[in-house]
Amino acid sequence: MPTRGMAPALRNTAGRLSHSRRVSLLILEEGLFYDVFLITPQGEIVYTYKREPDFATNLGNYPMRGTQLALVFRESRMTLESSISDLEHYAPSNEPATFVSAPVIRDGRLLGVVAFQLDSQRIYQISMDVIGLGTTGETTLAKLVGPDEAIYIAPLRRDPLAAMQRKIDLKAGAAPILKALAGQYGGGVELDYAGKRVVAAWRYLPELRWGVVVKMDADEVFAPLYRQQEILVKSLLALMLFAGALAFYFGRRLVLPLKNFALSAGEIAAGNLDKRVDESRSDEIGVLGRAFNRMTENLQVLTRSLEDRIEERTRDLNAANEQLRVAAVTFETHEAILITDASANIIRVNRAFTGITGYSQEEVLGKNPRILSSGRQDKAFYAAMWQQLLATDSWSGEVWDKRKSGQIYPKWLTITAVKDKQGKTTEYVAIFSDITARKKAEDEIRNLAFYDALTGLPNRRLMLDRFRLALSVSARSHQYGAVLFLDMDKFKILNDTLGHDHGDLLLIEVARRIQACVREMDTVARLGGDEFVMLVEEISANANEASQKVALIAEKIRMSLSAPYQLKDHRYHSSPSIGVCLYRGSGESVDDLLKHADLAMYQAKDSGRNAVRFFDPAMQQAVEAHAAIESDLRHAIPGEQLRLHYQIQIDSDHRPLGAEALLRWVHPIRGMISPAQFIPIAEESSLILDIGVWVLNTACQQLVLWGRSEETRDLELAINVSAQQFGLADFVRQVEEAVERHGINPERLKLELTESVVLKDVADVVAKMHALKAIGVKLSLDDFGTGYSSLAYLKKLPLDQIKIDQSFVRDATTDPNDAVMVKTIIDMAQNFRLNVIAEGVETDAQLAFLRKNGCMAFQGYLFSKPVSAMEFEVLLQRLSE
Amino acid sequence: MRHCPSRGAVNLALAFVLAAVLSGVAGLLLSRLESQPNIKIGVLHSLTGTLAASETPLVDALRLAVEEANQSGGVNGALIEMVVADCRSDAAYCAQQAEKLIARDGVRALFGCWTSSCRKAVKTIVEKHHHLLFYPLQYEGLEQSPDIFYTGATPGQQIIPMVLWALQNKGNRFYQIGSDYLFPRAANLIARDVLFARGAQLLGERYLPLGASDMAAAVKEIAALRPDFVLNTLNGDSNLHFFRALQQAGVRAEDIPVFSTSIAEAELAAMGPELGAGHYAAWNYFQSLGGAENRAFVERFKQRFGKDRVLDDPMMSSYIAAKLWVEAARVQDSTDLALIKTTLAQLTLHAPQGIVAADYRTRHIWKMAYIGRARADGQFEIAWQSPQPLRPAPFPFYRSREEWQAVSKALAGAQP
Repeated sequence: MPTRGMAPALRNTAGRLSHSRRVSLLILEEGLFYDVFLITPQGEIVYTYKREPDFATNLGNYPMRGTQLALVFRESRMTLESSISDLEHYAPSNEPATFVSAPVIRDGRLLGVVAFQLDSQRIYQISMDVIGLGTTGETTLAKLVGPDEAIYIAPLRRDPLAAMQRKIDLKAGAAPILKALAGQYGGGVELDYAGKRVVAAWRYLPELRWGVVVKMDADEVFAPLYRQQEILVKSLLALMLFAGALAFYFGRRLVLPLKNFALSAGEIAAGNLDKRVDESRSDEIGVLGRAFNRMTENLQVLTRSLEDRIEERTRDLNAANEQLRVAAVTFETHEAILITDASANIIRVNRAFTGITGYSQEEVLGKNPRILSSGRQDKAFYAAMWQQLLATDSWSGEVWDKRKSGQIYPKWLTITAVKDKQGKTTEYVAIFSDITARKKAEDEIRNLAFYDALTGLPNRRLMLDRFRLALSVSARSHQYGAVLFLDMDKFKILNDTLGHDHGDLLLIEVARRIQACVREMDTVARLGGDEFVMLVEEISANANEASQKVALIAEKIRMSLSAPYQLKDHRYHSSPSIGVCLYRGSGESVDDLLKHADLAMYQAKDSGRNAVRFFDPAMQQAVEAHAAIESDLRHAIPGEQLRLHYQIQIDSDHRPLGAEALLRWVHPIRGMISPAQFIPIAEESSLILDIGVWVLNTACQQLVLWGRSEETRDLELAINVSAQQFGLADFVRQVEEAVERHGINPERLKLELTESVVLKDVADVVAKMHALKAIGVKLSLDDFGTGYSSLAYLKKLPLDQIKIDQSFVRDATTDPNDAVMVKTIIDMAQNFRLNVIAEGVETDAQLAFLRKNGCMAFQGYLFSKPVSAMEFEVLLQRLSE
Repeated sequence: MRHCPSRGAVNLALAFVLAAVLSGVAGLLLSRLESQPNIKIGVLHSLTGTLAASETPLVDALRLAVEEANQSGGVNGALIEMVVADCRSDAAYCAQQAEKLIARDGVRALFGCWTSSCRKAVKTIVEKHHHLLFYPLQYEGLEQSPDIFYTGATPGQQIIPMVLWALQNKGNRFYQIGSDYLFPRAANLIARDVLFARGAQLLGERYLPLGASDMAAAVKEIAALRPDFVLNTLNGDSNLHFFRALQQAGVRAEDIPVFSTSIAEAELAAMGPELGAGHYAAWNYFQSLGGAENRAFVERFKQRFGKDRVLDDPMMSSYIAAKLWVEAARVQDSTDLALIKTTLAQLTLHAPQGIVAADYRTRHIWKMAYIGRARADGQFEIAWQSPQPLRPAPFPFYRSREEWQAVSKALAGAQP
């Protein structure tokens, strides 16, 4: 082979290169390329700068054979042209690399191939350049890696780790990049890889075989246009063109590093710092220089022509500006115009059309106007329309159509057939206007008779009508339905304390929330006062399934209505009681079914409010389970299954102030049952009274024990008092007896009363509280802030302490509303000279906030969970250490 | 370049918007499609003479592209109309026809020519009018006109890989035969350059006038020299006579394979496939290429023009030329020559054989290269293909442009 003799010549070149100061300068200081290779025609790598493991290997052998370096080498050898490789992981350098190669020819003979390895960071830098792309713009690059797969080349804005990692499924990937990779040239509004609506332009870069997409979020792009009302129409087209120019610009920019790279290679060759390489030299370096110079010219020409083109077009179009504006007005009235061809395919729409329907011209062109139809009119309606249209060449009337958003609206439509000289219909012109407002006025008149004026819901009359209809439908379909009877707990108190306007606000909000919980086909009616009825139709043919489904709906309503209400400046907590009655067929009358649901609702109320109860026997099981707990609870005290746990209360110096006693039930079979489960059951019966006595006595015993020790002598113990217990005529005497019997210091005992307790019978409550104070026990108001205690009322009560509810404490550091609430409570407490304690303190941030605002006592998991008496002592010891 | 979406951009957008609205109004006022005048394009191919067999199919390929464009809405609602001129296998006459199509028929683009002589003649006219010619043939390169868009291959995309492959696979002793005009002489020069660079040996070189039929002397010489391969740059009917003479002289493809630059499926069909079987050709498209889209395209073509018809590279290049022009006109919504030319240089599109991408600087196309071995059924089996599309380089890398221009001038001067 003659090339054998050529190898020494190439080795000489290699020798020269290795001594070149420019090479080291370019590689190390400018970082333009990573490595340089000289390769013999046989594929032997005889020189590299870096001396990585690729040195002295052969590109024809495994594993180098499969590299991009081998590929550009083979291509340069086969075509005697320069070649640029793909960006791919290159094992010897252990990073992604791109190679540029050029044949080295001297005296007409191929000496070998020189190749350069490009720093991959250069490519990334370009894709990161978002100048001119606003705040949401980005350039995405991808290349094919298989028949069904592509990969992102550079990091994505919404996925910085995407480079060479994130795959694209060619069957289901983001549309713009798929189009680019398929070689398409275009732009439009599409969904990107993150599913966001973007204005994008896509290009294919043949030099690198990459897809490039330049895009901006549609929201950002359209924002300035929305402000300029007159140019809304067709803004899309204009933006596509604009984004297209940007994509082209960025696409070509990608070739820039290759250009820089190339120029520098020429510098190596020339051995001087002139930017232009001497093209006349015919050695391998001159050859390289020419190739690189050509790339430079390419880019310059491109940039110039792009600028010229944009300038030229801007000039032309500005000149036509005035004429265009005049012409535009004729087609743009406030009435929507839609023109179809004779076979009813849409051929033109105006701007008002887009305004009313939400469809752009592009979306409807070529389509049949039936895409606008809401389905509210039947076939016969349209048949009659066409019959008249064909007979008289025009039709007008009211039609319910659907907007792109899915919203159904009424329009007044006039269709006229346009005919040519031969009398043949050539187009149909449809003109319509949105008559939603007019229809609304009409509907309002109708509503007065059937709808509740306050909430806009159907009234009793309409509900009864619908219920009758529902029963007959159910009789035919054999599907179960349900009627739900709902009543807001404590509504009367709200009306009495805050006035009817607040009550009305609550009802409106309740109506809104219920409607959000049910299907559109279901009926929500207000019967009057705070009573609502819901008809849930066609649930299931299976009774069990129906009851489960309706239970879910009812629970959803209950949850929704239990969330706090903002009534003007009052934050109000309320809850509903819901009774449910299933029905099928018309076996029972509407009156009976409503009565059943009403009864179930009262059961819900009796069960402690904020609850859902079924009338149906199927749900009797739940009631039985409930009864089981109640009967077990009767054995809880004699069986010594109840326990008190103690949650420590501390001051701002972390000194123990006392504890709150919390009830626990250790069921012999079920284990620990939470108070939330059994207290409501206990409250339904008089059991809560027995429990109350037990708690009072147990707490006193504990105080006796504490009194014997120096460290615990001063601790206060707080117990919770239920409304029933407090309501007892002899409650004060009970407390007095207990204090005396156990011989405790009454000041160590604190009774925690909830707002619901103190708001019942004001005169009685105030009298009892004063009597309790006379004994010497302390009084604390629990859960403060959740109800609607007025300041004036609060002032009447002889309280020692206010407890800030944990719901405020929890959100005080994140929700400014709750922060203000907490500050207000603390301020108020200080004004009234009351102690204030915060419960539910769980984080240092909450503690810091409370301290900063003057709260001096705390309770919560940050310090300790509620623990047994023994553990509590251990806790105290730890604190004193 | 400023690319902030600032006032400039918004004004630009505004201008586009108004233009769009005007087109909407115009559409409303002139909603009858037939009232829009057709857009004319000119076709310059030889329907008679020695090149008729090669060139006539290109007119069909153009027709298919135009019909498909018209079925999908034409250009902004206007239909495209082909005005076909017969070049009679005569370059000078073809130039006159080009003048007529531009000046009298008002065509918006020209598609045509087969030989480089024809292209050179038409180039003068096209450049005078700053008009636009699409040239669909592989050629010798060494040319770059702002008014010509080249959809055929440059030497680096066809001849160079072909002869280097022949060198690697058949041996290093070669013989050259060609028609006596610019392309064969330039192509052979380039082939010699690259073969010599790899140490090959030229046994003989012979040029015959275009249309020549007496191949006896050349074939006798080939039979005597027994080269490892023959590089054939003959064009037109001469190929039939050449291969027939080879057969008669008992030169078998297995012994002395011929590598042709200008024999595709259409030429094989015209001269009888058995004559060419076993010999090689290099192209950038073969009908036998795989792919569902290519098969569908072949099917479409056959349905339109007859099931015995074949497709080949120059036809595909013609089809793509028309597709590119339509796409550019649609993108710009205009047939303005300056706009179209600027757009064309950036355009990519999805074609039956894959992505077609224009090269901005050279106004050529990035192309896959294939070497095919002719089968007895008139189709080619692929012997080699480039791993990826190759860059179009009208001026091969290893000489400067000045050197090439000097070479080119010398070659043109050497013409009879």
